[in-house]
Amino acid sequence: MSIFNFFRAAPRASAVQAKERLQIVMAHERAGRSGPDYLPMLQQELLAVIAKYVNIDENKVEVKLDRGGDCSTLEVNIELPAREQAKAAAAAKTAEKSAGNDVGAAKRPAGGAVGNGGAKKRI
Amino acid sequence: MSKIIVMTSGKGGVGKTTSSAAFATGLALRGFKTVVIDFDVGLRNLDLVMGCERRVVFDFINVINGEAKLNQALIKDKRIENLYILPTSQTRDKDALTREGVEKVLNELSKDFDYILCDSPAGIERGALMSLYFADHAIIVTNPEVSSVRDSDRILGVLNSRSRRAEQGLEPVTQQLLLTRYDPERVEKGEMLKVDDVLEILAIPLLGVIPESQAVLRASNVGMPVILDEVSNAGLAYSDAVGRFLGEDIEHRFVTPQKKGLFSRLLRRSA
Ligand SMILES: Nc1ncnc2c1ncn2[C@@H]1O[C@H](COP(=O)(O)OP(=O)(O)O)[C@@H](O)[C@H]1O
Ligand SMILES: [Mg+2]
Repeated sequence: MSIFNFFRAAPRASAVQAKERLQIVMAHERAGRSGPDYLPMLQQELLAVIAKYVNIDENKVEVKLDRGGDCSTLEVNIELPAREQAKAAAAAKTAEKSAGNDVGAAKRPAGGAVGNGGAKKRI
Repeated sequence: MSKIIVMTSGKGGVGKTTSSAAFATGLALRGFKTVVIDFDVGLRNLDLVMGCERRVVFDFINVINGEAKLNQALIKDKRIENLYILPTSQTRDKDALTREGVEKVLNELSKDFDYILCDSPAGIERGALMSLYFADHAIIVTNPEVSSVRDSDRILGVLNSRSRRAEQGLEPVTQQLLLTRYDPERVEKGEMLKVDDVLEILAIPLLGVIPESQAVLRASNVGMPVILDEVSNAGLAYSDAVGRFLGEDIEHRFVTPQKKGLFSRLLRRSA
């Protein structure tokens, strides 16, 4: 192997990336196999609680997940409706702003109930 | 109204998922808003090939069952504008795919997307049938190998009899051949079926020939559709195939053994 090849192959060969990706995704899958898929229920319950206080449009709920090796993040963005008066007052100006008005955002590392542990955890 | 494409083959392991990822990416690169759907319920793989496996929250089946909204299950590609993935469930089975459920999701996607690409599972049972039922266009992924060619013929029969277009007596689903894992050197040695042999047997138009290529494994290792590897033969061949699908007239490449290099090329020329 030439020095050139050595340096090119060394940092992150595609096979190394393949292994890392598989370890992460499969650790989560194996952990989840025993229990029910809790995400749909988690979402419904979260929404039910929030709906007690504000009107929310179910189509404006965004759920994002990033499964990592040591920690996963679940991000729930709920767009809250703009107040009626506020809407009337600054019609065009707030149009964009209100879309980013996600007060209900809950971002949490998922060591506990929300995500399923790290890559090393096996069930 | 969007166009629905099914990537199908009958046989497993011939390159449907590789081709679905490449094709969807190619259409999006050309500016079409595209979603690629994994119909292989229980054996999710498109997410790995597209490199979005860590971001799957909800899936196609959750949407069919009303457990999640479509926009929550759709994953936006991080590299390519206009490209979305709808992953499938890893835990349920194919019975979760009801015709009404699939239709509802496709109708909703139709409002928003130019192309809906359905990655079919192997076989000719429920999952495969659901993935082709609503199709306008079928891309038949075939390897130059006897069992693959025969299974492709079976699938053509199914498209002609059991698709929505067939059942309702509409204009038939268009059918084009994508011959993958083609090895021109083995063809030249007489060890592998030629493009023309396969075309003669299946008698459908040729969309493209994708050469056997090491770039495909490299791309799937890192979760990148191979069409983004612009120096690979396979990537270029997919790009050409997308162009042809959109009506461009592009000559087929990589169907004859590659010249060995400048030296042998010069020798050849002077010969
Ligand atoms: N052109 C090609 N060159 C080399 N390997 C390929 C090619 N196309 C597909 N493969 C490999 O073949 C295997 C099956 O491909 P896949 O797309 O998963 O098939 P299917 O979805 O039809 O089951 C994978 O390992 C893939 O990397
Ligand atoms: Mg597949």
